[in-house]
Amino acid sequence: MALFGAVVALGLAGCGGSDDDKGGGGGGSTKTQSDSGGGSGGGGTIKVGFLSDCEGAFGSFFEPTASGFNQALIDKAGAKPAGKKPTDGVTGATVGGKKIEIVGYGCADDTADKAIEETRRLMEQEDADVLVGPLSGDEGIAVANYAKEHPDKTFINGIAGAQDSTLKVRAPNFFRYHPDGAQWSAGLGDYAYNDLGWKKAAIIGDDYSFPYTSLAGFVAEYCAIGGNITKRIWAPLGEKDYSSFISQIPDDVDGIYVGIGGSGLINFVKQYRQQKGELDTKRMMGNVFWDDPLVLKEVGSSLVGGTTAAMTAGDSTDPEVKAYLGRLEESYGKELAGLGPSVFTYGYYTAGQALVKGLEEVGGDVSDQKKLQDALANLTLAGDEAPYGDVKLDENHQAISNIFVKKIVKDANGDGVPDVQTFRRIPDVDQTFGGFFSPDSPAVDRNNPKCEKSDQPPPWVGKAEKVSYGG
Amino acid sequence: MTGTGAAGRTGWVGLAVVLVAAVVAPFVFTDFFVAVILTKSLWLGIAAASLIFLSAYGGMVSLAQVGIYGVAGMAFANLVAADGGSAAAWSPWAATIVAIVLAVAVGLAFGAIAARSVGIYFLMITLAFSVLVYYFFSQVTSLGGFGGVNDVDLPGLVGRPGGDPTRLYFVTLVVAVAVFLALRYASRTPFGLALQGLRDEPDRMRALGFDVTRHRILAFGLAAFVAALAGVLSVWYNRRITPGSINLAQTIDVLIIAVIGGLYRLEGAWVGAITYALLDNYSREWTPTVGNVLGAERFNTILGIVFLVIVLASPGGLVGLWDQARDRIARRRRRPPGASVPAPAESPITTRT
Repeated sequence: MALFGAVVALGLAGCGGSDDDKGGGGGGSTKTQSDSGGGSGGGGTIKVGFLSDCEGAFGSFFEPTASGFNQALIDKAGAKPAGKKPTDGVTGATVGGKKIEIVGYGCADDTADKAIEETRRLMEQEDADVLVGPLSGDEGIAVANYAKEHPDKTFINGIAGAQDSTLKVRAPNFFRYHPDGAQWSAGLGDYAYNDLGWKKAAIIGDDYSFPYTSLAGFVAEYCAIGGNITKRIWAPLGEKDYSSFISQIPDDVDGIYVGIGGSGLINFVKQYRQQKGELDTKRMMGNVFWDDPLVLKEVGSSLVGGTTAAMTAGDSTDPEVKAYLGRLEESYGKELAGLGPSVFTYGYYTAGQALVKGLEEVGGDVSDQKKLQDALANLTLAGDEAPYGDVKLDENHQAISNIFVKKIVKDANGDGVPDVQTFRRIPDVDQTFGGFFSPDSPAVDRNNPKCEKSDQPPPWVGKAEKVSYGG
Repeated sequence: MTGTGAAGRTGWVGLAVVLVAAVVAPFVFTDFFVAVILTKSLWLGIAAASLIFLSAYGGMVSLAQVGIYGVAGMAFANLVAADGGSAAAWSPWAATIVAIVLAVAVGLAFGAIAARSVGIYFLMITLAFSVLVYYFFSQVTSLGGFGGVNDVDLPGLVGRPGGDPTRLYFVTLVVAVAVFLALRYASRTPFGLALQGLRDEPDRMRALGFDVTRHRILAFGLAAFVAALAGVLSVWYNRRITPGSINLAQTIDVLIIAVIGGLYRLEGAWVGAITYALLDNYSREWTPTVGNVLGAERFNTILGIVFLVIVLASPGGLVGLWDQARDRIARRRRRPPGASVPAPAESPITTRT
């Protein structure tokens, strides 16, 4: 019994001691230290926490997301990479004469619990002023809710694409400079119904908020113009064995929209081939994961012919895009630069750009975060800040931007990995799909939105611009 | 209590010292430390205590405790006003009571199935329970699904833990102390003594007329009650619960906490929990970078190594280490100089009550 006391006392003492060794800083666990470290921003250092996933279904995106965020600091805040790996950090980042310190590269595992634990560590223990992240849908909703409880801190979403985190939670200090999952599907419903002639379709996706959002974008557009969804199949995130879900896919539909992501998509494609033979990609579309460079490398040859959409265009020859990829290659080498068109790298890149631009507008002063938040709410990313297309925010702090519709085509550049061919650009896609989604509409889930024809389809239907990058 | 009155007194003094330290803690440490290290250790310790109680006194290493606390946590989260789940908007206190009753009922049902088996089979059956609970709540989207239940309504008693964690800390502390004292008391009642009897000699106890299975089921029910308290407290602490909070990793974490602390003494639950919380939180900063092998992102490796070292050095966990050290000192004192006959070594895995 006595030992219990001894160990606890030792534990506490040991902990306090080690913090003293570190000397001040936000890492202190005793009250006095925190008080002296508090009132953040008065100092001259802007503390930024970075949050992404290094475990779970999206663990492989940890370094790519960090490379995107760092690159924004390298481009605009005079930073230099501190090592070969992006998570080694950067040195020399300053804005408005204030130093930007990255207090940590937080690692979550796509669950809300872990994301919040890491957020608390970065914001409360490391005393960050601004958080950039997280990566995955449910994490984003949880962090947006956390943001609401902490109005004195600022949160810029990484690449978590659940609709709710901006449309429903509407935290005044949470900002998302990339389209959400539903926006990423813009243009696909139109293409499926009017160009491919799908009258009936099925959808299959991971059973959580991001695929709900991603597939909702397809359903909202496809059904509004007359399409019919006959089956919705949901598999748990992180599923290893998709066979029972594959066998549920009906044969009497004209097409399937696949919203399975991360490492799950790779398993799904491999198992689909074993079970049903090669994918009939003319009858298939996929969400943002389909043309992700990591996925293309693994199973791309099976996806050739499939259609997908997102905010980036892998084949873009736009000079600003080329410059962005060039800078990324200079900082982190060919492999990570190859992932530059991935929404994961690019989402964190625009988040970093927005952060630097917002900080510039307030002269690097984060003592009054309200000012920073006002600056963030009103800024527009353009030119080299957002090489794939300008980004502005709506009143829920959600990006309005353009979406590219793409096909996956056979390898033409000789690297053995299938290429992406962009053929349409949908300008100014907003989160509400022209009013269809609203704070009062039912939250997207397994059964929502309902599949209903509407006389007010999303405003971009039939207005897509033809694009060709000479492919 | 195998020891003398003196040992008993040391015990109470120890408890008093810990309590004073615990009461002073919120005034010394930052809010972050009070919440993320101390409060979390306390409720994780309660969950581990339910496992240690079954293991130490009943000889049943149960992996179902996380499943049971998941039932309590999910029930609570679904019964109060919240974002997601069924959001029945009950009063948080009513929800607390119903959640605990429900979890105990589920625990008794689990116990009725598991109590007939022993050893590795008991382990596997209880593991299956936890996995079952995890998949149940992952798949039934009307109860939250993968995204779980967020923004849960809490009783006014704990205030807003996000802003000021002190009240929730004290509530958790009171529950933890009550659980510790109650389980220690239970182990000395005829019920507890009989439980220890059938841990060691089930056949003899059966011959004496004890209903072994029913006794074990009741012990399982008591442990389920304790686990349910931890489940509700975990939701109060997180303000959310998702299937990720009650997955296999969490089951293993609670087992690790119990083993680090010591599977044979109730105190071990909290010793293990605070050790775990400190390691889990600070090892990210401490973990040295060794080429591509080790680095901050592989802090789990450090946790694993510490776990291995503790298990290898002391089968009785950290509490066992203390016992060994104390016995060694006591023996040296008692042994007359020059005497060569060693005192009978006490096994570190003996349960002391």
